[in-house]
Amino acid sequence: MYKIISDDKDKGGMRMITLDKTDLIEAMTDFKNKGYYLTCLNGVDMKDHLDVIYFIHNFDTNDYISVKVSTNDEHMPSLTKLFRVADWDEREQYDLMGIVFDGHDDLRRLFLPDEWVGHPLRKDYDLKKVQYVNMDSEGNEHVSFDEKEGS
Amino acid sequence: MPHYTELNIGPVHPSIHGIFNFKLILNEEIIQDVKVTLGFLHRNAEKLSELNLYADNIIFFDRMNYIDAMNMELGYLMSVEKLTGIEPPERAQWIRMIMVELNRLAARLVGMGSLGLDLGMLTPFFHTFKEREKIQRIFTEASGGRQEVNYFSVGGVYQDLTEQMINDIKNFLPQFKKNLEDMYNMFIHSEIFWQRNRGIGIIEPEMALDYGVTGPALRASGIPYDVRKDAPYLFYDRVNFDIPISHEKDNFGRFMVKVEEMRQSIRIIEQCLDKITDGPFFNPQGKKSLMLRIKGNGEAFSRVESDAGEFAVYVNGNNTTKPNRVHARSPGLRNLSLLPVISKGLMIADFIAVVGGLDPVVGEVDR
Repeated sequence: MYKIISDDKDKGGMRMITLDKTDLIEAMTDFKNKGYYLTCLNGVDMKDHLDVIYFIHNFDTNDYISVKVSTNDEHMPSLTKLFRVADWDEREQYDLMGIVFDGHDDLRRLFLPDEWVGHPLRKDYDLKKVQYVNMDSEGNEHVSFDEKEGS
Repeated sequence: MPHYTELNIGPVHPSIHGIFNFKLILNEEIIQDVKVTLGFLHRNAEKLSELNLYADNIIFFDRMNYIDAMNMELGYLMSVEKLTGIEPPERAQWIRMIMVELNRLAARLVGMGSLGLDLGMLTPFFHTFKEREKIQRIFTEASGGRQEVNYFSVGGVYQDLTEQMINDIKNFLPQFKKNLEDMYNMFIHSEIFWQRNRGIGIIEPEMALDYGVTGPALRASGIPYDVRKDAPYLFYDRVNFDIPISHEKDNFGRFMVKVEEMRQSIRIIEQCLDKITDGPFFNPQGKKSLMLRIKGNGEAFSRVESDAGEFAVYVNGNNTTKPNRVHARSPGLRNLSLLPVISKGLMIADFIAVVGGLDPVVGEVDR
């Protein structure tokens, strides 16, 4: 049985629960059996650790809950086996936030080119280093820090 | 031994809505698989929002779903208003509701017109865009902007609706009602439109929920879920309107749901115009001189029903003038993620119709 660490409300009055990382799969399986669906997930960089927030929704009881899980090592268990929507969502969070979802079959970048260096939504991402994207005749994208190579 | 061909559609192609790239794996003319490449319009509005003040971020949301800008602004502002505790006054809420519904009409008109265009029907496109231009003239009058309006502000709206503007909207609605039926008949009396849309792109309800599909695509699968009814925001609980659903599950069902929702939107605007109250149109806490000093602390999440479906914004503040994290849930991304599944076994021409029926707007998909 999973343990709910804290159970409170956010500013809009939505229920917000916090779980431990090891309990996530078990808790989400339980929620899925109760008729909840995953609607979206997002990562938050809190500087010393990363938070991943899952939003789940029950269409019958009209219940919307956010589930917060913290991680120190940028690894999270993947929910793709439970909800199909997690597939692209986890790819997006991997792309922009750099969270590695263990158990995801096809964890590639969703928006940025594969060769891109770094994850832009991290607080320590260096915005001053411009990366230039170039496309060769095969249609493959190449990324470079050098302006001449990228043009 | 089957013979497979790879066909590349996009990034720039006349029949796709914005810039994304599809690679179709074909067995003769039957689609076996679709590979979607996104990110051509990716501007990372979420990061930009972290670098700017709460009040400045509205413009990034304008440019997400650029044909449905009012709804995008509303989604963001509802979160910020929850976070900062700046409640908009009653008149501002009514004005927002009128504008949001007008924008929904405008966005649906683009969707209808471009669906026709994808299928080779040029005529309805001109009619829908002519009507849309009238709506945008109202927006220009109110905000100064045609498409990227930047009309809502924290705690209210940028400027009041004058008597003249309310009269403009009142005059617009009756003739639009008639023109909508004309445009609808243009589609529905075309044999080709029926044949091209019926029975393709079937989304089963279970599959739709699993993939997080919302909006007209979900309602066309027979699930009556609409944020305006299930979690009423603004004053949607004070007006009467219906949620149309269809059990067709296909492209044609989605078209019918969209048109019926436009009729419901007209109903909502008419009721709003009757019920709109006098009073201030912004909260003094959000006035221009204080806008730069708005601080938020904590977390807020709010969702609105946009043109494509449930648009939700998560804002996290750490008691500074800039948000710590902003995340937008894009309904178009979920609708698009279903595309490889529903287009398996279709012809290439049907694929174009399915993309037109799902009507993704790339600005909001890529953000």
